[in-house]
Amino acid sequence: MKVTREKLENCQVSLNIEAEARELEKALDEAYHRLVSKVSIPGFRKGKTPRAILEQHLGKSTLLEEALERLIPQLYKQAIESEKIEPIAQPQIEVTQNEPLVFKAIVPLKPTVKLGDYHSIKLKAEPVEIGEGEIGAAIEQLRQQQAVLLPVDRPVQLGDFVTLSIEATIEGKPFLNHKDLLYQVDSNSTFPLPEFAQKLEGVKKNEERIFSLKVPADYSIKEFCGQECLFKTTISEIKEKQLPQLDDEFAQSCNYANLTQLREGITADLRAKAEQRSHLELRQKAIDAVVKVSEVDYPPILEDREIDSLLEDMARRFGYREVEDYLKRVSKTEEELREELRPVAKKRVINSLTLDKVAEEEKVEITSPEVDNKVEEILGDAKDKEKMRRFLALPQVRESIEQSLRSQKTMERLVQIISGNEKEETGSRLSGEA
Amino acid sequence: MHLYEVLRRPLITEKATLLKEGNKYVFEVAKEATKPQIKEAVEKAFKVEVVKVNIITVSGKTKRMGRREVTSPSWKKAIVTLEPENKITFFEGV
Repeated sequence: MKVTREKLENCQVSLNIEAEARELEKALDEAYHRLVSKVSIPGFRKGKTPRAILEQHLGKSTLLEEALERLIPQLYKQAIESEKIEPIAQPQIEVTQNEPLVFKAIVPLKPTVKLGDYHSIKLKAEPVEIGEGEIGAAIEQLRQQQAVLLPVDRPVQLGDFVTLSIEATIEGKPFLNHKDLLYQVDSNSTFPLPEFAQKLEGVKKNEERIFSLKVPADYSIKEFCGQECLFKTTISEIKEKQLPQLDDEFAQSCNYANLTQLREGITADLRAKAEQRSHLELRQKAIDAVVKVSEVDYPPILEDREIDSLLEDMARRFGYREVEDYLKRVSKTEEELREELRPVAKKRVINSLTLDKVAEEEKVEITSPEVDNKVEEILGDAKDKEKMRRFLALPQVRESIEQSLRSQKTMERLVQIISGNEKEETGSRLSGEA
Repeated sequence: MHLYEVLRRPLITEKATLLKEGNKYVFEVAKEATKPQIKEAVEKAFKVEVVKVNIITVSGKTKRMGRREVTSPSWKKAIVTLEPENKITFFEGV
């Protein structure tokens, strides 16, 4: 066997392997012995056919194929051992020549990550500020949620809720027919047609009102566009939305002692949310920055694998068991979708490789008790505890938990390095967020 | 009978392959063929020297086809011994 190696880009090595005639002959002979007991040829008992006759019957190529099926992996293994290569996945093999046998194997290697000087990167989290306006909006939203509809005895105003019977025709053809429809008289509403709400303004209870509106040119039903629509409406009830008074009583209904506390509570809530968001942003920025100063080289097979898992995730998220079903639904070919996902996959591969390297560099480790804690946490609000516990005890599940914990921890560590307070204890923030 | 009608086909079987070691070749021949005719035909067709010809009439097998009993036709097998150093290669099959 003769092997020549050639380094390719993207962490791949191409091996040119040439088999010697003796090796090929041996493989052919073995192949004959395997085949002969399977094939029945008239005039011969099974397993008794001479090789020459078998070759005549099946053709030489069949025998060769059978031989190569075993010979190539065998030679490939030998080549890898002699060249001291550590592949991370199956190689791509291409036979270039039959006699003598020459084939090319493209072997994906371990990705290499060269981290840049990430210690010198300095980023700050966006400072969090909660303005009066935001607090006001949040309180207003709470009020809206607690609003009640009260019947009133006056003509319709904008913003009221009305119970309405409506009969509409377009050039004699029926368009709408509803009885006792609850309708919000909102000047921005485009249902059933724009400016319908304005026409209702000032109508009294039980008064019949007939009016016509022009259907806009971009209406969803083509044949009605630009035509006149005749409405016949009767309002049977008018209700007004009443917001609760902004006082201690309202605060109590939201589980706060009084208005000041409500205000403080909301501010704290908003602040916590904003801080979390800015922390997440910082994380993302941190990893982006590290990726930027680092060099990552990996074989394309990792990208393809990532795409596979993305595809599967996507299919599952939309409730399909098989990726094929999902493809049918979105009517895209697999290749198209794969190409669309490629940039995402690329980014994910690079990020995770970089993060792994950082973990290695910073000696981030996850201990068994930490995994146990996480398991308990997951179990916390599960229904079928015993079943879940058994599932979580599986080695591969534990490993994936460990992995996700490690990447989180590494993230936190990275954020600390980058925001400049390296001394802080790693564990504290993690447990709060996990 | 014309010479070309004598030899039907070579027999390629386990036994025939074994006989090749003694420089003997096996053919199915026409029922009416005689030893001298076979000798001449083989010599002409393959350009070889024939030492001797043995012939066997293989009687047909009786088989039942439903209620009827049917006999497959008998045929004649010839084992042709060649002079040493003479060889025949068959290009039958693939």
